[in-house]
Parts: sequence; C-alpha cells; structure tokens
Amino acid sequence: MSVTNKPEAALQMFDEGAVTHACWSCGDMRAAHFCQSCGKLQPALPTDYFTFFGLPRKLNVDVAALENEFYKLSRKLHPDLYARAAGQERQWSLEKSSQLNDAYRTLRDPIARTGYLLKIEGVQLEEQSKAATDKARQTGEEKKQVIPPELLEEVFELNMQLEEARINKKMGERDPELLREMEGTRNDLQAKHDALMDELHGYWNEWDALPEDADESLRKPVRDKMVGLLNRRSYIRNLVRDVNEVLEA
Amino acid sequence: MAYSDKVLDHYTNPRNVGSMDKNSQAVGTGLVGAPECGDVMKLQIQVNPQTKVIEDAKFKTFGCGSAIASSSLATEWVKGKTVDEALSIKNTDIVRELSLPPVKIHCSVLAEDAIRAAIGDWKKKNGVAAQAEAHAPMAKAGD
Ligand code: FES
Repeated sequence: MSVTNKPEAALQMFDEGAVTHACWSCGDMRAAHFCQSCGKLQPALPTDYFTFFGLPRKLNVDVAALENEFYKLSRKLHPDLYARAAGQERQWSLEKSSQLNDAYRTLRDPIARTGYLLKIEGVQLEEQSKAATDKARQTGEEKKQVIPPELLEEVFELNMQLEEARINKKMGERDPELLREMEGTRNDLQAKHDALMDELHGYWNEWDALPEDADESLRKPVRDKMVGLLNRRSYIRNLVRDVNEVLEA
Repeated sequence: MAYSDKVLDHYTNPRNVGSMDKNSQAVGTGLVGAPECGDVMKLQIQVNPQTKVIEDAKFKTFGCGSAIASSSLATEWVKGKTVDEALSIKNTDIVRELSLPPVKIHCSVLAEDAIRAAIGDWKKKNGVAAQAEAHAPMAKAGD
C-alpha cells in the first residue's frame, strides 16, 4: 500500500485539489469541481461527501468553514450559470448541485456525519441486526440485544409514563404533579443526551488521531464505540422528542 | 409512507395489547429494541406447562405503524402454537403477510426478535435448555 502524504494541515482545508484527473476540455490536471488551468466545470463523479468537499475522512469538522465553502460552491455550481453551456456541463452542474446539498446537509450535522462516516467505512447496522436474527434462528441461541437491557427497561418504562401523560393531555387534564415529573424527566434526558454527545466527541478525537494508514485492528475498536453510542442515542432522542411533545402547551 | 391495508388494520385495531405478570412462572417476556430507529417492543406469552402450548400473548410497542402491526400479528400467530412451533415464525413471513416495504423490514425483525426473546425467557424460567447441547461459557480467544 502506498503511503499518501497528506499534510496535517489538510485537516480543515478544503483541498479541492485532492482528486485530480485530466480536464475533459483542456487536458490539464483539474481539481474536483473545476479545472485548475482553464476553470471549466468537471464531470460529476460518484464520490463520498468528504471527498466532495476535499476533506479527509475525519470527524471534527469546522462547521462554519464548511458553511462558507457550501455557499461558495453553490454559487459557482449554480445551474443558472450553465444555462447556455454545452449539454454535458449543464447536466453536471445539476448533478453536482444536488451532490453538494446532500453532502452539506450530512456533514454539517454531528450525528448524520458520524453515521455517514461509519457507513462509508463499511458498517451496516441493519444488515448486522438481521444477520444476528438469522443466526439466532439457526442455532437456537439468544440474539444479543445491541443495547444494555437496563436501558431498554428504562426506555420502556418512560414510554409508558409518556403515554399516560399524552392521554391525560388529550383529555384536557393538566395534572400539575405529572407535569412536574415530566419536567424532571426532560432534564434528565437532556443531561443524558449531552453526556452522550461529549462521549461522542471523545471518539471523534480518537478517530481523527488515527494515522492515515492505520489498519483494521486500530480502526474497528473506535468504530464499534461509535456504533454503540449511536444505538443508545436513538432511544434517548426519541424520548426527548416525545417528552417535549407532551410538555408543549 | 403508504401503509398496506393489513398494516392499517392492525395499527388502528391492534390485537392483544396489554401486559402480563412478568414474574409468573408461566409467562415469558421479550423486550427488544431497534436501534435503527429507537423503537421498543415488549411481547409476552403465557405457556401451558403440560402441553407447552402458548395460550395467550400480549404486546406493547412504542414505535412505527409497521412495528405495531408486526407485533400485533406476531401475538395472533403464536397463540395456539407450541413454543417450538412458534420459533419457526420468521420475519420474512411477517413481511409477506403485511406487504412491508424494504425500509420497514427491520420492524418485522423486531417482532421475530421479540418472539424469540419471550420464548427464551420462558425456557430459562422453566429450565428448558435452549439447545440440546450444553455450552460451557468459554472466554473468546483474544483477537
Ligand atoms: S421504524 Fe423502527 S420499528 Fe418500524
């Protein structure tokens, strides 16, 4: 495997030169979106969102810088600019604009970004779950739930309470006792959610600190921790959403 | 998302919603979750100790319409079956019966997991080995 020498400083640089091919128009080398020599728009290639922005596959992303880059690129790629261009360029600008929107929407959000990175790193959550069920079916052994049973219990209990609160609300009953309890629950959940996000940032740092050529034995443990965390978070997120809904006047 | 008629039927008119005493010897409880979406499902069975027939089943699901329909259907299907017969219910059977689209397959997996977990719990309680062979807990060799 050849060692790619990506300078450390590339961490937050939008390095559009990261992917180079020959420009279709002038034959010179081009950057991801525009030729460095003649400035022509380049074909839309299937690419991951990090590469689209010229970013390394790292999780700490400067979101303000990303936003700037997004606006800059959306202006430059805007289909209106290519209304009179050759057919293929018009097509590329459309395709790239839509790639740009997807990439930006995914990368600016911490959770979506993490999930996306795991996905392009080959983690298939749903497949894993299905495979575990298949295995349980064949061997008769128990499928291990991916989140701790205590958390499931707790989530279930909270859901029961929320349901009661929701029914009360529908009936026009505002039981102050119950509402106070729900406020407490909301604060607990929020604290839990915040703690999860802190934990996630820790894993981001671990991931980002891995050397470029780190092998599976180093990457997998960090990935697994992130997968576990995202799994736990999905339950907390639902509860936060539901509690807020109940507390809404 | 357009739900099939059968999903809508179970969703608006779920069968066997409720709960049983999870401490009862005859009751098996399965509590499972789908981390893809954060939905949770509890399914309970009551088993006749002599015949091993599942005489009653209840569920409670906090989740999407397909998960509710899948668990509602699961309780209907397990009733009257022996525990071993019930273990042959596959998520794909549920998918077919309810015409679930691909994005909703995990909801049916959840229901199968719940059935298995409930039966597993009942077996544990009643000293029925989950499998013929007794597997000694063995530390996994270091990776
Ligand atoms: S969407 Fe998750 S169980 Fe249906």
